[in-house]
Amino acid sequence: MAEEGNVSAEQLGGLLKLRHEHEKVVKDCESRIQHWIKVSDDYDALKDRLRTLPDQLCYDVMVPFGRLAFMPGKLVHTNEVMVLLGDNWFAKCSTKQAQKIVDHRMKHVKNEMEDLSKTRKNFQARVGFAKDLETMSDRKGHYVEIREEVGDDGFTVTKGKQRIAHKLNSKPKLDSVLDLKDENEEEVKGEKEEAGGKKSVLTEEELWTRLDELEKLEELQDEQDRLSDNADMNGEDTTTSSSEEEREADAPPINGISLKPSWSSAARSTAPLSGKIQEEEEEDEDEEDHGLPTIFFSHTVEPKKVRINTGKNTTLKFSERKEQKEHSKRKKKNGHNNGHSHHELHNKITTPADVYRLFVDVKNGELVPRKSILKSRSRENSVCSDTSESSTADFDERRIIGRSFSHDEANHSDTSDGIAEEDSPVSVPLQTHSRFEAFSGTVIEKDPMHLSVPHLTISPPTLPTILERKQEEVVPDVVAPPPPAPKRVSKFKAARLQQK
Amino acid sequence: MAETVQKKLQGEIDKYTQMQKEVSKNMSVRQKLETQLTENNIVKTELDLLDSSNTIFKLIGPVLVKQDLDEAKANVAKRLEYINGEIQRYESLLKDMEKKSEQQREVLTSLQQEFQKAQGLAVSS
Repeated sequence: MAEEGNVSAEQLGGLLKLRHEHEKVVKDCESRIQHWIKVSDDYDALKDRLRTLPDQLCYDVMVPFGRLAFMPGKLVHTNEVMVLLGDNWFAKCSTKQAQKIVDHRMKHVKNEMEDLSKTRKNFQARVGFAKDLETMSDRKGHYVEIREEVGDDGFTVTKGKQRIAHKLNSKPKLDSVLDLKDENEEEVKGEKEEAGGKKSVLTEEELWTRLDELEKLEELQDEQDRLSDNADMNGEDTTTSSSEEEREADAPPINGISLKPSWSSAARSTAPLSGKIQEEEEEDEDEEDHGLPTIFFSHTVEPKKVRINTGKNTTLKFSERKEQKEHSKRKKKNGHNNGHSHHELHNKITTPADVYRLFVDVKNGELVPRKSILKSRSRENSVCSDTSESSTADFDERRIIGRSFSHDEANHSDTSDGIAEEDSPVSVPLQTHSRFEAFSGTVIEKDPMHLSVPHLTISPPTLPTILERKQEEVVPDVVAPPPPAPKRVSKFKAARLQQK
Repeated sequence: MAETVQKKLQGEIDKYTQMQKEVSKNMSVRQKLETQLTENNIVKTELDLLDSSNTIFKLIGPVLVKQDLDEAKANVAKRLEYINGEIQRYESLLKDMEKKSEQQREVLTSLQQEFQKAQGLAVSS
């Protein structure tokens, strides 16, 4: 108790000093304000004098002579005044000009007064605080300082799990589950930062298990989507124009989501809404959780680089790296483990692009990284469009071939078909991913105009070839399609024009 | 032992106080320069507002000397530049002084600790 008393006495002494200092400042401010008030009064009087001075040509005055004597005299040239501008500079002015100068100075004075009054307010508030602190430390007043001791033991174990939850690339659901398990109200972030390093090893294993779980979920959802998509597809085949319009309408809003645009139109029609909702959910989840990945928007200069790509090369790496960097930066801010995130990105599926990266090789049967998904052999497995240069040649091919068929409509419907039937396993995982994590956390906004044309040209490109084949095989019904509406330019044409 | 340390301590304290004085001097000079700066800024604005119809005088000692408006403006501008330069120079000086005083302070603290130890030894012995 004696120690407590000493401590409190010291605190009291300190607080007293603090209060006194604050009060001093307040007094100083007040004195300065008084000074400025005087000055402004003087200036007011001067202004009046200047106004009335030119009323008469000359005034009879008693001129002071030294300290004690006066002499009668006359005040002439009533309109001419010598003004001190400062620093020993004088200017001869008329009374009106002098009045203007006085107005200037009044402004300055007023500003000073305002500043001083503000500081005075601040310090008065501080004085109040100091008083409150004093009463609190005395424990005489009815203020009670609430203190909660933070225990370390219970946190380390749980914090580790929470640490996983807050990893940027970990699945949100996983995070939410973990967070629900470990509810901690005090300083979750700080403790996570502390425990983050410990959990890096464990999280990898957990990630693998998580991957397996997600694959199963994806398969389940595949079937579900297939059922729903097929119904949609059939409708879309007949109403290709509507699908186109949908696509175009969806394109700009979806363009903001770098990983979305290349998906099937059917997936688009259904997914964008759901995806967006999921994203919103994720956003909510993200916002709820303390350190969860937040959705950041960044503008890309070159959409090409950001474009979803295929395989292990090409542009996605670029964006991936960017995202990785951004993720790592944010994680650092949040105190996350960077190395783990990098590792995660390579092994874990966090974005639809990752799916392509990981799954495509398996499905192709080719272990060689594919240069572009536009290659006919690779198209079966990929929906994503590729902006890599290797695909431009393919573009031309397809454009030529595609022209012979129904341009836009067929492509659109084909894309939807191709995606639904062949790429469902691929597309669904993307969708499922969207549920858990719509995207890695970076929303790269692209210039919609810039993408609108390429979007028209690029997104379908992969599909036409598949479609062409199918049409060749099945029935070349739509051989002579109606010429494209003047408004609607076929995608291939547009691409060609663009390339020109 | 304690006495020698004490003497050292005194010496260091004197040095430190001197440095503090210099620092404060620099500060005051700099403040003066700042007021001059603001004043000259005001003069500049006023001169800009005036036109050539008004005659401008400069007070040199007890004499008011007539000046040209353009000349006056140029003079004020030059003076402003000069003041700015001076302020920067004094700022750098001030920084150096502060660093030195910091070092001096550290030396002082270490010496104080020694002194206390020595005193403790003396008391115990």
